[in-house]
Amino acid sequence: MAAVSVTAGRLLRLRAAGAEGYWRRLRGTGLARSFLQPASAGEDAAQTRQVAHFTFQPDPETREYGQTQKMNLFQSITSALDNSLAKDPTAVIFGEDVAFGGVFRCTVGLRDKYGKDRVFNTPLCEQGIVGFGIGIAVTGATAIAEIQFADYIFPAFDQIVNEAAKYRYRSGDLFNCGSLTIRSPWGCVGHGALYHSQSPEAFFAHCPGIKVVIPRSPFQAKGLLLSCIEDKNPCIFFEPKILYRAAGLNIMSSPCSVLNDKKKKMEQVPVEPYNIPLSQAEVIQEGSDVTLVAWGTQVHVIREVAAMAQEKLGVSCEIIDLRTIIPWDVDTVCKSVIKTGRLLISHEAPLTGGFASEISSTVQEECFLNLEAPISRVCGYDTPFPHIFEPFYIPDKWKCYDALRKMINY
Amino acid sequence: MRKMLAAVSRVLSGAAQKPASRVLVASRNFANDATFEIKKCDLHRLEEGPPVTTVLTREDGLKYYRMMQTVRRMELKADQLYKQKIIRGFCHLCDGQEACCVGLEAGINPTDHLITAYRAHGFTFTRGLSVREILAELTGRRGGCAKGKGGSMHMYAKNFYGGNGIVGAQVPLGAGIALACKYNGKDEVCLTLYGDGAANQGQIFEAYNMAALWKLPCIFICENNRYGMGTSVERAAASTDYYKRGDFIPGLRVDGMDILCVREATRFAAAYCRSGKGPILMELQTYRYHGHSMSDPGVSYRTREEIQEVRSKSDPIMLLKDRMVNSNLASVEELKEIDVEVRQGVSSSSSFGTQITLPPV
Repeated sequence: MAAVSVTAGRLLRLRAAGAEGYWRRLRGTGLARSFLQPASAGEDAAQTRQVAHFTFQPDPETREYGQTQKMNLFQSITSALDNSLAKDPTAVIFGEDVAFGGVFRCTVGLRDKYGKDRVFNTPLCEQGIVGFGIGIAVTGATAIAEIQFADYIFPAFDQIVNEAAKYRYRSGDLFNCGSLTIRSPWGCVGHGALYHSQSPEAFFAHCPGIKVVIPRSPFQAKGLLLSCIEDKNPCIFFEPKILYRAAGLNIMSSPCSVLNDKKKKMEQVPVEPYNIPLSQAEVIQEGSDVTLVAWGTQVHVIREVAAMAQEKLGVSCEIIDLRTIIPWDVDTVCKSVIKTGRLLISHEAPLTGGFASEISSTVQEECFLNLEAPISRVCGYDTPFPHIFEPFYIPDKWKCYDALRKMINY
Repeated sequence: MRKMLAAVSRVLSGAAQKPASRVLVASRNFANDATFEIKKCDLHRLEEGPPVTTVLTREDGLKYYRMMQTVRRMELKADQLYKQKIIRGFCHLCDGQEACCVGLEAGINPTDHLITAYRAHGFTFTRGLSVREILAELTGRRGGCAKGKGGSMHMYAKNFYGGNGIVGAQVPLGAGIALACKYNGKDEVCLTLYGDGAANQGQIFEAYNMAALWKLPCIFICENNRYGMGTSVERAAASTDYYKRGDFIPGLRVDGMDILCVREATRFAAAYCRSGKGPILMELQTYRYHGHSMSDPGVSYRTREEIQEVRSKSDPIMLLKDRMVNSNLASVEELKEIDVEVRQGVSSSSSFGTQITLPPV
């Protein structure tokens, strides 16, 4: 509740105390039935959610890569792209609206700096964008394609799965499109509804031949993106759009608003290029009782869950950020589960066929005798990503906490 | 005279009115109809196009005026509600493009079918839903047409298939609906709309091919408002002659700011399809005053002067109003009254939309 009361103090735009109380009750009752009832007539029905479902927790600054600068996620992406274009004369960036800087400002300033033959717009044609990117990559140039939202990646699905992923294999290594990287905003954003909130990593996890990477923070994003660009395999880099800018709080408003707590989503990120290895999960916090695995935005949710578990149940949680979805770091996760005996995996994507099912399946194969309780998956429901029901849909900290408690008491 | 009084009282019934204005309106003598010249359409693979003159009756004129004004007011109300954060999520407004939705509806029957992309509030209204249901849907309330669960981009009505978020995805769907029309043999057509941005999607061309191959009664309509989000048509398309992009499909380019032009072109296109000749393509040249969506101020890729110019020279509501007043089909006061009624109607609908309960989980 600490996080809620802190944020409540900063909710500048609330018009009615009644509404604030409504949402406080929502957070406080977990899965109790009471919060599922519709707003009563007395409350301001127009007031909607003003609090994010997570609190961004920046990592401490590292000195090992040289001078750092305060950056948020989109700035760290711009920095990574800037480094790439500077280092690699064949690198090009293309996609819808990237020239002016992109709808999330990830490519601001790059066209002016590197020229319009290296940073250019494409028409509205995702299949064309990816196909075209594969072509560039096959000649050996570095192609960095942007798909404006991960929800729009599906027209390009055939190109990714049937062309990009299989190019090296089918040509017997004569050709490859390893220098292709596809970047795309990913995940829930508070107001995205069906087509601006999806997390499609599971669809691509089923495809050998590509790599799928999802960062949790600005520092991670730059290092991982640079690794993806330099990796000799086609990579898809999903960027959690809810983390792009500021808005530690009030992020449910329109994307254009600039909010007071901008500084909360910033981190110290090295200015020079650096790499974070792919296919290596990171143990963010060591623990002995439960392993919590997530990626992207959800890492911040489970961090809070771990703090809650420590405080209320005296349970010590080990938190793992998976970072690379495929090929994923089986060893780190299994080593952790062997130690703790309990595993909880959480993601926004729907439960059935979500990537948690793959992790769960592998872990039970490898660590069966070490498990103290069934592996728990706290995910989105098996429905399209809702518009108005988003607060009920996402696997927030209360759902995770509840699942964790059930596992402990198994 | 009696007929006109009856028409006037029909128009005025159901709304609180000042008695003085009713007397004022009733004492004028209006023409029953008037003939107007409309712009000739550019043609592609067509010998003849729609007629260059058309007759507008007073009744129709008032109806179109009221509908266009309602769409305009509704969109402006949605703008207001969005800024008050009563509407969340994405909201794509079509003010400036009223002649398209009202004109298309005027050229087809209610039993014909229509499918469009996300700039769909106007079409939702012209296809038969009330402003109340639309605003309730935008605010996510139970009284909304999709029970509050769809929002701006997912509104549906009888013979109106939405409301589609993914750009271009609705075009093959439209071809499919046209196939069903042909199969059912009821002489219905399907209007399949898309924008200038979507015109560069691959699946559009797949739909063209299927529709032409199987002679489907599909009217492909490209609503060219000159900007695909923030990209102007010159920067996105190798050929901006969207009416020719169907290649083997005949096409016509229509002035989308003139409702009479749109109506005639639609009648022509519908007749073409109903005669079994196969699909046809219409490009409506139109303009949107708002940005792409409510998150887009709309002035970073075009000048305010440009928007102002279109507003002052080509506004569809103004064009119809001028025509009607100059040909004595209606008086300025009468149209002003309609404006007031519409404004009141939209206002009361919006308070309905914001008061009713949220949908159950």
